[in-house]
Amino acid sequence: MDNVWASTNKLFFKINPSLKFLLISSLFIVYLFVQNLNTMIWASFFFLILYYLVSGLAGKWSFWFVFLTLIVSLFSASAMIMFGKGSHIIYHQSLILITQESLARGLLLGLRTFTFSLIGMIFATTTLPVPFFYSLMQQLKVPVRYAYGCLAAFRMIPIMAEEFLHIRQAMRVRGMTRQKGIKPLYERMNRYSLTMLAQSIRRAQRTAIAMEAKRFSMTERRTYYYEIGWSRIDLYFIVIMLLTVTLGFVFAAYFPLTPFTNVLDH
Amino acid sequence: MSSTSREGWGVTNLRLAFPKKNAMLFKDLSFDYQRGEKVLLLGPSGCGKSTVLQVLSGLIPHSIELPMRSDRQEVPNNWGFIFQDPDTQFCMPYVDEEIAFVLENRCIERAQMSELIQRYLDMVDLKLENNHQLIRTLSGGMKQRLAIASILALEPEVLFLDEPTALLDPNGTEQLWKTVRQIGKDRTLIIVEHKINHVLDFVDRVVLFNQHGEIFADGPKQETLARYRDKLDEFGIWHPGIWSDYEKNQIGNQINSEHAESILELKNFAVLRQKQVKFSADHLCLNRGEWIAIVGENGAGKSTMIEGIMGLLRTNGQLRWSFDHPENHVQFVFQNPEYQFVTDSVEDELAFSLRVNKMNEEEIARRVDEHLERYALKAQRNQHPFQLSTGQKRRLSVASAMINHPDVLILDEPTFGQDAKNTFALLDIFQQLRLAGTTIIMVTHEMEIVHHFATRVLTVENGRLVNDCVSSEGGEERNRGQRLGEHEQVVF
Repeated sequence: MDNVWASTNKLFFKINPSLKFLLISSLFIVYLFVQNLNTMIWASFFFLILYYLVSGLAGKWSFWFVFLTLIVSLFSASAMIMFGKGSHIIYHQSLILITQESLARGLLLGLRTFTFSLIGMIFATTTLPVPFFYSLMQQLKVPVRYAYGCLAAFRMIPIMAEEFLHIRQAMRVRGMTRQKGIKPLYERMNRYSLTMLAQSIRRAQRTAIAMEAKRFSMTERRTYYYEIGWSRIDLYFIVIMLLTVTLGFVFAAYFPLTPFTNVLDH
Repeated sequence: MSSTSREGWGVTNLRLAFPKKNAMLFKDLSFDYQRGEKVLLLGPSGCGKSTVLQVLSGLIPHSIELPMRSDRQEVPNNWGFIFQDPDTQFCMPYVDEEIAFVLENRCIERAQMSELIQRYLDMVDLKLENNHQLIRTLSGGMKQRLAIASILALEPEVLFLDEPTALLDPNGTEQLWKTVRQIGKDRTLIIVEHKINHVLDFVDRVVLFNQHGEIFADGPKQETLARYRDKLDEFGIWHPGIWSDYEKNQIGNQINSEHAESILELKNFAVLRQKQVKFSADHLCLNRGEWIAIVGENGAGKSTMIEGIMGLLRTNGQLRWSFDHPENHVQFVFQNPEYQFVTDSVEDELAFSLRVNKMNEEEIARRVDEHLERYALKAQRNQHPFQLSTGQKRRLSVASAMINHPDVLILDEPTFGQDAKNTFALLDIFQQLRLAGTTIIMVTHEMEIVHHFATRVLTVENGRLVNDCVSSEGGEERNRGQRLGEHEQVVF
């Protein structure tokens, strides 16, 4: 887990997390309404480049994330490609019917999934939980109890990961993994969830009491250890994002790679 | 609810009930304490000491809602509470952020925070290269001291400590009490604790509870303890001299191993975690009927060693059991028994591995009954393993390992977090097993166990097996004592 981050000192780590959050979420909405296949192709291309430039993940992790995303996108595209409607048939075999129109729609859908994941990862791989929640409290006035609640939950993740390994070892020792078949598999799943749920509930309750014992109150005014403010970098960030999005649209207009400018029309 | 008198606090005629239990936990319990007092609450497990502590601090009913009634509940204005579990007291990932969390709650100006954080860390003697360090990289003892530092940030006049060392090793325990002693000088301390060796020096008042949650003795340390000394053994409290008491009543703990049949041989053995060698031994040969103690500092590689031997981690080199199917002859007991429970009742738990091996049901029933009897779990046979007490959970985990009649039993700190009564019950069981020919291999921090029971001591240091001393009979006995002295210096 510890070697996931290559560097937490990159430019994108210094952006105001609330701004990053809002801008990135609005991008999701923008690309939700794009029906032009060319725009989608160019946008995913430019965001892929941007992702590689700004991501804070170590190379190996970064590669596998993108690879995984590609596979997921392929799945979401394949359903549309193989079972869609259209008049220009490319391939027909029993249930599978591929037409030019469905191919275009499928590709658009796949690329949209891919772009969404990239944008999401640009955010996720350059934002640390503590500054993010501090910024949410300070800039977006998110209630203190939710922010600290989420932070406490983040702390549980590595503890739970360790717990998972322990339970797996214990199952091997008890001979549970020697049983083959569906029923033992179901029981193993059951055991994992029951044990981890029981431990997590207990931990959560203890943590909550400990936090209250430290005079954490949900309403009163408080000071902050980290002041999350604004800087010139935030401006750079807005420019970079706008540039990436605009480039996608401009290239789609001047260098269209396909004839499908609106996949819903055909 | 709030404090009116300036010099003393407490609760009068407390009645309290837990949901789904018919009996009241307390019936008109009263307890008062004065500013500057250092009070130790003692009693058997489950008598409600921790609950009293939570009532005294106002956590009940303010944070933990329980049906309770009292004529008077006076809570100090400024108090801090240290809990048992080092892992669940924090809500932030980094050391400095955790203390800052408390400062934020107190609305301290941001500019003063770094300086204050350093001051509180100094007070508990927690020296870190960089205060912005991940909390999960700290040892249990350091985490508990961090917990104290973050409580000190509340500037409390009263400190409540609820078995803060129950999950610490002897080394961490000693350091923690040293810290508490320092910071407690001009504060009021109310302590619940089972291991009282280091606490006795600085408390001045002792309160004893019985099983029914009643206070039956309350007075100055010396008198109370002298008068009720026998009660301490009954309650399972670790007090100075408990080992010599135990030895007097014990006959079968002389060390002798006549068997010399080799059961496990390691040659150029290395255990890997995440592709890095974390433990290595050039040559090691273990014999039947030995009680092998593995000792060493935290993180030295003791657990890695036994997990490697169990085949739970990747290993290099030679590992040779003298059995064809080691999984049927070697059993492993984890440090946290809850992880290894795989069924929903005590009975099924015991029968589980027998059913995996397709034994006939009659034989299974016979063995289950026998083990329920031997490990004193008969009354709990239909309960869910998670509902058992700490001691019962541990006994169940050992019982479910032993029901297969293994030749080797490997245990990772089996007495960790157990009270004295449970520990001695376990040790008696292990001793019986060893005399019946089972080989016991255990990781432990308790040097007393090593002294009294082990026939052989393996010392692990920085991921290497550095010392292996066999203690068989007569002449070597003295030698063993000396060597153990050396260990103690190394280990503690």
